[in-house]
Amino acid sequence: MKWTSWPAKPKERRATILAGLILWQALCALFFIGDVIEDFREDGHLDDPHLFLETIAALALVAGVMFLMVELRSLLARMGDMQVGLRVARGNMADVMKTFFDEWALTDAERDVAIMILKGLDNETIAEVRSTASGTVRAQATSIYAKSGTHGRAQFISLFMEELMSGEFGGGDSGETRDPSRSQSGPAATGPKGQETLF
Amino acid sequence: MTLGSVMTTDQSRGRGSVREVAVWDPLVRLIHWSLALAILLNSTIIDEDSKVHAWVGYTALGLVGTRLLWAVIGPKHARFSAFPPSPMRTVRYLRAVFAGEKELHLSHNPLGALMVYNLWLTVIALGVTGHMMTTISFYGVDWVEEAHEIAFGWLMASVALHVAGVAFDTWHSGVNLVRAMIVGRKNWPKGRETE
Repeated sequence: MKWTSWPAKPKERRATILAGLILWQALCALFFIGDVIEDFREDGHLDDPHLFLETIAALALVAGVMFLMVELRSLLARMGDMQVGLRVARGNMADVMKTFFDEWALTDAERDVAIMILKGLDNETIAEVRSTASGTVRAQATSIYAKSGTHGRAQFISLFMEELMSGEFGGGDSGETRDPSRSQSGPAATGPKGQETLF
Repeated sequence: MTLGSVMTTDQSRGRGSVREVAVWDPLVRLIHWSLALAILLNSTIIDEDSKVHAWVGYTALGLVGTRLLWAVIGPKHARFSAFPPSPMRTVRYLRAVFAGEKELHLSHNPLGALMVYNLWLTVIALGVTGHMMTTISFYGVDWVEEAHEIAFGWLMASVALHVAGVAFDTWHSGVNLVRAMIVGRKNWPKGRETE
């Protein structure tokens, strides 16, 4: 469970800094407003240039605070939209993976291994995670490559990269995107098409 | 390292059981903890007759003022409309709690919302009476000082109830509220009713 309050993502960091500035400026604005009100009480002349300037400054600060607040809200809204988009993409990716695995008739163990391969784990680590011998993992990996019609790790991963990069990805219910039969002959066959949609 | 990988793998397989929802924006969090700090400082270590006490008080007042403005301008969960002060909804919420139902609220739950308004109003009352004590016309006036004292007692009781409420809701709903107020996101069990 992550507890860090200092955000790692640039957009979130921006929002945090913006929030800090808003708070800082709001407190400054209130200080000036209080000062102006005090001054008015003591001797209220609006034609006093000092007081006049102070009033202007206070109003400018308040306007700045409100502007920054609107700015922060739209930044947060944009971040929210992006999050939703990402979640949809992730959901779609999981669906794509499941469809592929079903089509290739991977066993449960092979599915686990395949996911870990896609996550970039090497055979040693996968064996450690699954507490099996690395020879077993190697055999499972070979079986996965054979079933998916690929020649190895890189090509296997590129099958999914292709899905991510093709323009059809996330474009509604296009059955073609998720049709693994297209990929069964290897990525070479889908290569030119992928490039076409990419550019 | 390896264990971390296992965790992520398991999470992705159990995808959808829990998801994180961004609830509290950075300004809300900043104001919350600043106000908590101001209250803590002014009620404990700062001498109440000192200038610092007055300035920390004004800062607290400014924090609440900024929060109120943000509740009009700000995003969905920070707005008044996300947690309207409603006795009806509070009664309904309490019934649900006693009936053992676990309804979840993205913003404050109705009872928590009442506490939020209570805390803000109390801080404002403290700020106003505190300021009055420094003015010529109210300096040394008994009822103002008494009002300040009473408001302070009320604030302390409210803070205690607030902390207890947070602890209860965390236990009852399973959503870690303290964490939510620090990182801004609530761990949301999927498929649960939201309001």
